[in-house]
Amino acid sequence: MSRKKNYMQHPIRYWLVLGMLLSGFGVVSARAVYLQVLSSDYLQSQGDTRHTRVLTDNSHRGMILDRNGVPLAISTPVDSVWAHPKTLTKERNRWPQLAALLGLNTSELSKLVNKHSGREFMYLKRHITPEVAERVMNLKVAGVALLREYRRYYPAGAIAGHVIGFTNIDDRGQEGLELAYDSWLRAVPGSKRVLKDLQGHAVEVVESITLPTPGKNLIVSLDRRIQYLAYRELKAAVQAHRARAGSAIVLDARTGEVLAMVNEPDFNPNNRAQLRSRVFRNRAVTDLFEPGSTLKPFTVAGALESGKFSPNTLINTAPGAIRVGYKTIKDARNYGLISVARVIEKSSSVGAIKIALSLKKKDMWELLKRAGFGETTNSGLPGESPGLLNPPSSWVKIDQASLSFGYGISVTPLQLARAYTVFANDGEMPPISLLRRDAPPSLTRVLPSQTVRKIRAMLELAVGREGTGAAARVPDYRVAGKTGTVRKLTAAGYVDNRYVAWFAGFAPASSPRLVMVVLIDEPTRGGYYGGQIAAPVFARVMTGALRLLDIPPDAPRDGVNKRMVAARAKGGT
Amino acid sequence: MSRALTHNQARLQRKATWRVAGRTRPAWDPWLVGSVLSLLTLGIIMVHSASVDYADRVMGNSAYFLARHFAFVVLGLLGAAMVMRSRIRWWEQGGPYLLLFGIALLILVLVPGIGVYVNGSSRWIKLGIVNIQPSEFMKLFMVVYVAGYLVRKQEELRNFTQGILMISIVVAVIGMLLLQEPDLGAVVVISVTVLAMLFLGGVRFWHFMVVIATGFGGMVLLTLISPYRLTRVTSFLDPWADPFNTGFQLVQALIAFGRGEWLGVGLGASVQKLSYLPAAHTDFLLAVLAEELGLIGVLGVIVLFGIVVVRAFAIARQADAVGMLFGARLAQGIGLLLGMQALINMGVNMGLLPTKGLTLPFVSYGGSSLLVSSLMFGLLLRIEREARTYAWGMR
Repeated sequence: MSRKKNYMQHPIRYWLVLGMLLSGFGVVSARAVYLQVLSSDYLQSQGDTRHTRVLTDNSHRGMILDRNGVPLAISTPVDSVWAHPKTLTKERNRWPQLAALLGLNTSELSKLVNKHSGREFMYLKRHITPEVAERVMNLKVAGVALLREYRRYYPAGAIAGHVIGFTNIDDRGQEGLELAYDSWLRAVPGSKRVLKDLQGHAVEVVESITLPTPGKNLIVSLDRRIQYLAYRELKAAVQAHRARAGSAIVLDARTGEVLAMVNEPDFNPNNRAQLRSRVFRNRAVTDLFEPGSTLKPFTVAGALESGKFSPNTLINTAPGAIRVGYKTIKDARNYGLISVARVIEKSSSVGAIKIALSLKKKDMWELLKRAGFGETTNSGLPGESPGLLNPPSSWVKIDQASLSFGYGISVTPLQLARAYTVFANDGEMPPISLLRRDAPPSLTRVLPSQTVRKIRAMLELAVGREGTGAAARVPDYRVAGKTGTVRKLTAAGYVDNRYVAWFAGFAPASSPRLVMVVLIDEPTRGGYYGGQIAAPVFARVMTGALRLLDIPPDAPRDGVNKRMVAARAKGGT
Repeated sequence: MSRALTHNQARLQRKATWRVAGRTRPAWDPWLVGSVLSLLTLGIIMVHSASVDYADRVMGNSAYFLARHFAFVVLGLLGAAMVMRSRIRWWEQGGPYLLLFGIALLILVLVPGIGVYVNGSSRWIKLGIVNIQPSEFMKLFMVVYVAGYLVRKQEELRNFTQGILMISIVVAVIGMLLLQEPDLGAVVVISVTVLAMLFLGGVRFWHFMVVIATGFGGMVLLTLISPYRLTRVTSFLDPWADPFNTGFQLVQALIAFGRGEWLGVGLGASVQKLSYLPAAHTDFLLAVLAEELGLIGVLGVIVLFGIVVVRAFAIARQADAVGMLFGARLAQGIGLLLGMQALINMGVNMGLLPTKGLTLPFVSYGGSSLLVSSLMFGLLLRIEREARTYAWGMR
């Protein structure tokens, strides 16, 4: 080892090399300042274009609740698997695993991905269960991610299917109240900017561009319990009589709220596979029928209004048939000389014609118009029909005569139910509502109350022991109503073997609370008269509904009264 | 009892030798120790931060790299402690043998079955649970050998064939072996370091220029022969031209720098490490550091390396002053090697230099690199200690 004391070799070179090294650090420092301070904006924007992505931030649709807060439509969060096609294409070796989890085969998946190549987004599978979603994510396939979506679930199923309607897979209302109140119920999806890693997974929410707004809840007028009763009884009747279809509506007589609205055939809105328009049409508002004898109370009301008739005015219906123009209209049998009240009780068409022909066309028309025929109920339900009521200027004698017993006019079941609130409500008609009312609505006077009370007495007779609607009677309650049996108008004219059976009525008759209309379309077994087929449905639903709503009986049987008194004493109320 | 007493007396005696005009000098160079320990600590933190996502995803254990890195730091410090107890004389004498050992390792790594082939190059020899990287050890061995060579051939250095040509052949052989792996980064670092050592060792200026010209020509030739090197060279000049292919890594690194700004996005909050930036915990660790700790962090790292280099050169002067010529050359070589490697790594990270497989000494993940850097650190401390002892006439 050579050692020379206090001797430094090549001092210039030493400082030169050290200087160069240190100036190298200086250059690097300057570069760091340039990158991190001077061009950081540019670099960050470059970074953002590479690793941020704007995702939709879904929120849930509002619930639909019945008047008591029971849910009829709920949104539950589900996951949908989506992919970035370009990234997924690179992961071809993972496709079999992925396809197996998604319930596809590999060639289907390949077809799907190829179809969307060049896009930035594609659904692989929508609305999968959380367990499957977790397993898909555990595969950690690049370019595959989950999207939170919401699936609509209808706890009441088929019971309220027609009224509530349903949504499509994109959470948009397609039918019923879901469509009618879509903008109210619908969630406004927000969007958020997320940082993603190279696998496409969102790492962090950078900013919410717009916050999602969940849909608002909708409280509807339906009472799920009454809805269920109506559903059960209508279904049973339609099946028992092998009918083509049927509808039933229960209204709150005072507020016009629809407490129940059911149709047959029905459908389960939870199962989108079975949706056919024949099945999901809400016949109670979309389909038109001639009301037949259920319209007679309006004819009689017109008669009382004219001042020419009183309930006791006698009308000669002998010989049980009448010729108007070149047509002959018959009664079920010859009732002979009967009062106006009996015309309703026995549903005499001859009597009704004789009454109608003595009235002014315009007065008749105006009364029907006031009762809401020929215009929609503004229920808001999609596809609602306004019905058909021709203007009096076009009427000939037979038109006026037919109208008296409900032919030559077409109504929806809901229209007829609304019209019957006039009789239930002392001559005033509330607007129809499918939403729960928090305040009583303003009513429209259609008839004076004294006239209505007389009609109501007649309608009570019509369901009396002697009346056509005896099957509509409800134990412990007084009931009023009118049957109708209508021959169907086909392309070949009115036919003898196809009927529509109606019943329209209300209870309790002393202080009406519920109005109900039942329609059975083309019953083929066990008769076809409204009194045989529709009236029993009314009776069964009303029996349950009146008790459910705690409406006091106005004609209690002795035993019932005693039991109730005893129960109240025991309960201390 | 008496032995303990004499031991204590010896310690007191030794301590007394460090007193200069009443001021106690610490046992080891405080600036060097401080900056190296700072770099090592920063490295442990940053390796974990940069690798946590990758480790979790690929290794199934988020602390996988942290644990290994920490183990290598401990191993490196043990190695440094051992080197500090060695004698510089041993290194001077052992230089040629270390060189031969290094060359043997470089040949071994090329033997299929011994060398591990990763990402298109075989740079590692599998040794149980750890892989060793001969090129890293070669850097140290080369510096030790060249330092000895410069001392032995002090007079012949003025002669071209005797001085320059001989060492050039050695460098060329090693360079060729390294290129077989291939490990261009190591070739560059070794060549530049040897060149600078020759320059400092007193080679004639025009000889030096000839070597530089030859070396430069060789580099150009290599780049032209292998097109992938050409694309690496051209892509760094404008990484944005093809940001998804050849410029991908650099673009991601530059974005990391840009995201960092002054104070960084915060420790652990880097996005670029989330598989955007390849080799985030090894060669491109500085980019993650830049993103998370900002300009302040980057400047801090630069200053720490600056201190290491300045101290290495100061120690060289100190050794030179007491006539420890080998120690002086070795300290200069180590300073050059650590400085050059840090500079190149930083230059690559910031897009100033073409992409090379080079780690940031003391900081990046990589067992061999850490171990070798630590040994160099130990050597510097040993040289300083011996130089100081000579200055006080003690042996």
